[in-house]
Amino acid sequence: MLINVDHVKKYFGKTRAVDDISFSFSSGEIVGFVGPNGAGKTTTMRILATLDEPTSGDATIDGVSIVETPENARRLIGYVPDALPTHRDISVHDYLDFFARAYELPSTQREQVVESIEGFTNLTGIREKSLYALSKGMKQRVSLARALVHDPPVLVMDEPAAGLDPRARVELRELLRILSGQGKAILISSHILTELSEICDAAVIIEQGKIVASGNLQEIDSPSDAQSTIVIRPLNRQDELYKTMLIMPSVASVNRLGDEIEARISGAEETCCDLLENLIQSGYRIIEFKQRGSDLESVFMNVTKGVVQ
Amino acid sequence: MNFVANLLERFTDTLNPIVVKELRQAVKGKFFSVILMVFLGVLLLTIGLYLSSRTVEFSFNLGRDIFGVLLSILLSTCLLFVPAYTAIRLGSERSDANVDLLFITTLRPRSIIWGKFLAAVVLTVLLYSACLPFMTFTYLLRGVDLPSIFVLMALTFIVSVVAIQCAIFLGCIPANRFFRVILGVGWLIAVAVSIPTVSMMMYGPTGLLHSGIGGQMGTWQFWRIALSVLVGGIALISLLGLLSTALISPYSSNRALPVRVFVTGTWFLTGIAATIWSLASKNLTPVGVWVGAYVVVYSIGLFIAVSEREHLGKRVSLSIPRTRWLRPLAFLFYSGAAGGVLWSSLMTVLTLLTIVVLIERFPHMWMGQFYNDFLVVFIVIPLQAFAYALGASLIRRRVLANRIAGGYTCVIAIILLDVTTMIVPLVLFFITGTWEKEWLVGSPVAPILAVSGKEYHLAYSSLGISCLGALLTCVMSIPWFFRQIRNFQPPKQDTATPPRANEVG
Repeated sequence: MLINVDHVKKYFGKTRAVDDISFSFSSGEIVGFVGPNGAGKTTTMRILATLDEPTSGDATIDGVSIVETPENARRLIGYVPDALPTHRDISVHDYLDFFARAYELPSTQREQVVESIEGFTNLTGIREKSLYALSKGMKQRVSLARALVHDPPVLVMDEPAAGLDPRARVELRELLRILSGQGKAILISSHILTELSEICDAAVIIEQGKIVASGNLQEIDSPSDAQSTIVIRPLNRQDELYKTMLIMPSVASVNRLGDEIEARISGAEETCCDLLENLIQSGYRIIEFKQRGSDLESVFMNVTKGVVQ
Repeated sequence: MNFVANLLERFTDTLNPIVVKELRQAVKGKFFSVILMVFLGVLLLTIGLYLSSRTVEFSFNLGRDIFGVLLSILLSTCLLFVPAYTAIRLGSERSDANVDLLFITTLRPRSIIWGKFLAAVVLTVLLYSACLPFMTFTYLLRGVDLPSIFVLMALTFIVSVVAIQCAIFLGCIPANRFFRVILGVGWLIAVAVSIPTVSMMMYGPTGLLHSGIGGQMGTWQFWRIALSVLVGGIALISLLGLLSTALISPYSSNRALPVRVFVTGTWFLTGIAATIWSLASKNLTPVGVWVGAYVVVYSIGLFIAVSEREHLGKRVSLSIPRTRWLRPLAFLFYSGAAGGVLWSSLMTVLTLLTIVVLIERFPHMWMGQFYNDFLVVFIVIPLQAFAYALGASLIRRRVLANRIAGGYTCVIAIILLDVTTMIVPLVLFFITGTWEKEWLVGSPVAPILAVSGKEYHLAYSSLGISCLGALLTCVMSIPWFFRQIRNFQPPKQDTATPPRANEVG
């Protein structure tokens, strides 16, 4: 299943909330949707969830247009908004049962589906509790359970980790991994970039309504050539090692971080092996030599300017 | 047993999910349970107090008196608490993301409104059921017959159900907290006026209860009134239901279409009924009432129309007919400011033409000066509405384009109306210290005052100024009309391959 966002624009008067954005992702992928406040993330997600209409452009889910046939598209999307459910006088089970009815699940399946989703999201123990009295983390689980009730192949999640404690975040991350493993395509926005970088296969970074970078994190971090960052911790002779590395042709830049030396290497992984071999042959005693993975936070800071519309 | 269980399960599948949810919430919540308990307590206490009074044994009207009081308590509960409970719940759900979540299910906005309405009706039925044994008991106390009890309960039930739909409509209005408080106060005032009015009509000294309903049930007069109330109630509930649906429908949907189709349909049917009635009774009054009601409806329609969107979204554009002859009709009925103004204007003209044609064809029904006055009033009102609505639209587009969204154009129109009706005359009054009716010449009150006081110079001045205002705003809005007519096209079929999107992952 391919989700294709194709040249979507959304204007509110003269404000360009979303300005010609295009990207696509498919089943089993978790895509982080990142941007500063007011970048157009929620607007894009609302358009994908068929709640708002794009000024121009379209998005398709397995060929089903969200503009032309929103009724069909709705059956394919589970949407978790940034606001949590606030219904009064209703239990968790009744709330999920209501949405199961709203998605026209027949009575023969409804009870079974709701119970299995309660089990999956670990809500079984609190199913008779009032929704209004739940903690933020529990409400977030209910929100996720509600989005899953009709078993959609696509999940659109707007800030699902906002306000959650560390344990709830870890649990959410695990749930998302399982869902991704089940073949669901997940688009998730969050300000907690460290969380996202751990679970996302790819990211779309948006600012002022425009995509400033997209792809997997490695691609975003080193768009032009294959570059990687390595961290070296020598046993001694740190100054000498620093100077040696400065004159090495494969090293693009070097930084000293206390006892460690961080270097940006131009070239593939073979270049890293050659470098390590050279250093050992030169008599340096290396305790640690590691390649640092791309960090979404640093990527985000590099590609965005922090401009607010 | 399995068969029954299966049947029940199938039945629950057909239930509106909103009804199920609302009733579960009502049962689990404290509000309705408390209301029901207090209500039963008050009924019991009332009967107890009456029966313990010393005058009981001498009264032949005890049953009627108690029935009147009990019906007032029932009516007050049903007009005050059930609609308020429904509207507050709807309003609070509407203010956050909950309604959005409903829209991404397969539920349609009309199912949401219909579900809320049905759930509130079930609660009302529950109150009526709880009250019924007490009401029937009054029959044993003499002074009231069973048909009177059931007919009056049915009539108050219709009033209660209309009140529920009114409350749902108010709850759907997108408003901030301040405006909600104003709406709530307005609702309380309306209820405070309605309860004694309905009570007097039902069991006042000249009310239905005193004239005895049982004896009238065999007459055509009784059934004509009963049917009129029933049909009027259903029409009002349907109209408010459609308006509520339009209010909660997504901005991108064709919100105006069902409302305009319904109003046009009822206009046509009631027009035919009124004409037949007038011809049969050789009296233009039924047609006159019909004209008056619909001219007011279409005048309000003008205020609403100018607040509609001027640029159609893709979803509505996709449904524009490709057949050329169907497109002008669609333009009138589809969501859109210019289309709405043209529809309201056209329908007003057709409404007024009906009475003019009837007067021409059947001069014996002409009632002289009365209909002249009537026509002046009902020509001035839509002309003024046209001028104020288009004037507000012009001001918003040319002066306040960056400050006020199109949806608030009706607010500007209401302010303009207030300025000419209240503020200017009051300012002139404070400056000159005298009061002149001519100062109200730009107000819809002017023609009414003029014809009632036989001051025809004021009536014709008002007509002239209204014509001038309508003509001026119409001429200035011609480019606006043409732009929207030109843009009312189905999207061109795109045969080009869309550009390749950035592939992620």
